[in-house]
Amino acid sequence: MLDNIIIGQYLPGQSVLHRMDPRAKLSAIFLYIIVVFLANNWLTYAIVGVFALFTIALSRVSLRYIYKGMKPVILIVLFTFILQVLLTREGAVLYDLRWFKLYDGGLRQGIFISLRLLYLVMVTSLLTLTTKPLDITDGLESLLGPLKKIKLPVHEFALMMSIALRFIPTLLQETEKIMKAQMARGAEFTTGPILQRLKAFVPLLIPLFISSFKRAEDLALAMEARGYRGGEGRTRLRVLKWTGKDTIALFVLVVLAVGLYVLRTH
Amino acid sequence: MKFKPIDLTLAAMFAALMAIGANITAWIPALAFGSVPLTLQNFFCVLAGLLLGRRLGAVSMIVYLLVGLIGAPIFAGFTGGFATIMKPSFGFILSYIAGAYAAGLIVDRSKKPTFPTFLVAAFVSLAVSYVIGTTLLYVALTNWAAVPGITYLNTWKGMLVFIPKDLVLTFVTAVIAPRIYYAISKNRTSHTQRYA
Repeated sequence: MLDNIIIGQYLPGQSVLHRMDPRAKLSAIFLYIIVVFLANNWLTYAIVGVFALFTIALSRVSLRYIYKGMKPVILIVLFTFILQVLLTREGAVLYDLRWFKLYDGGLRQGIFISLRLLYLVMVTSLLTLTTKPLDITDGLESLLGPLKKIKLPVHEFALMMSIALRFIPTLLQETEKIMKAQMARGAEFTTGPILQRLKAFVPLLIPLFISSFKRAEDLALAMEARGYRGGEGRTRLRVLKWTGKDTIALFVLVVLAVGLYVLRTH
Repeated sequence: MKFKPIDLTLAAMFAALMAIGANITAWIPALAFGSVPLTLQNFFCVLAGLLLGRRLGAVSMIVYLLVGLIGAPIFAGFTGGFATIMKPSFGFILSYIAGAYAAGLIVDRSKKPTFPTFLVAAFVSLAVSYVIGTTLLYVALTNWAAVPGITYLNTWKGMLVFIPKDLVLTFVTAVIAPRIYYAISKNRTSHTQRYA
């Protein structure tokens, strides 16, 4: 579980998608979201569907993980579908059950909206499945770099994200350690009335907060001692590389967006 | 916005603490309120505002949100990833930013915060979270999921179930917060004293 946090949902691999530049992937995802919202008839939904399946095939990520990523939204997809079918009253009646009429418009609307959500989740979860969180952070920092001109602290945010990623496992371990230490001293976290249990949290939380502040201070001191002066002129250990496949991927998405704009019902 | 190194590390550390707060029930399964497992997110959100001040408190919540979005499983129930944006309840994660800011604002305003200050800060922060989260839930349900027949009032009625749990938890937050606040103030080394 602890290792999980650092690499996030990342699955190591050597596919084209894994080797793409994180900046290209982020821009592609952004375009893809626009594309999904452009679709509004059977043909355009089918095209986006084929594209989504193609991307999944390209990533060589097993379907089990794609399904795992979709699990949290499946319920809402089903819920939306059922409500759409039950409540939309448009188009011809397809099926009459006396207490309930199935409308053509409702069924179509239900299918479209469920597909839209599924398409969005399927491909956006590929981003985090094929890219390490730290790489995404680097990609974001570089993509949003121009925003530094309008005084947006892009570098600072990227650095804070990296530090947080680094310290989440440490603090998790620390929490576990403090909890065991307090239980050895007789603290009861698992039994008793709810207020009692909440009170038992105090001896867990106070040491946790104090040690996190201490860690933050130590780290800041170390940064200052090594002459940290913000992002200006900093070099990096991992340098992002933009290659031909990244340009091609973006080109494909632009073509897809234009194509869908032409083919959608106006 | 100017950040000193200590600002950067403290905000990052609070984002990490928030990740623990969201999932602390994973270790303590008995800490469930009926069938709803408690998350201590609101608690940590309020404390971020109290201990770091309004600006840095809000920054730390933004960092938490971003780290979760880029794939670290740190949202409630060890979830994460960019697709979280598609969940209708995503607005509540966003609302912690304003929640921390609100709590920070109230404590920053008082010279020597006492229990009533913490009580007000905790409840205002909860109210801000609820208003933003529920409004965005409504926007998500009507726009993205396009659920027909959902009204703003209906969305609020759906939220009623969670209110008792959150009221109790917020009161507990207000009780515990001063103890942590003063414990931290006593333990700070001099060069970072200006926060607490």
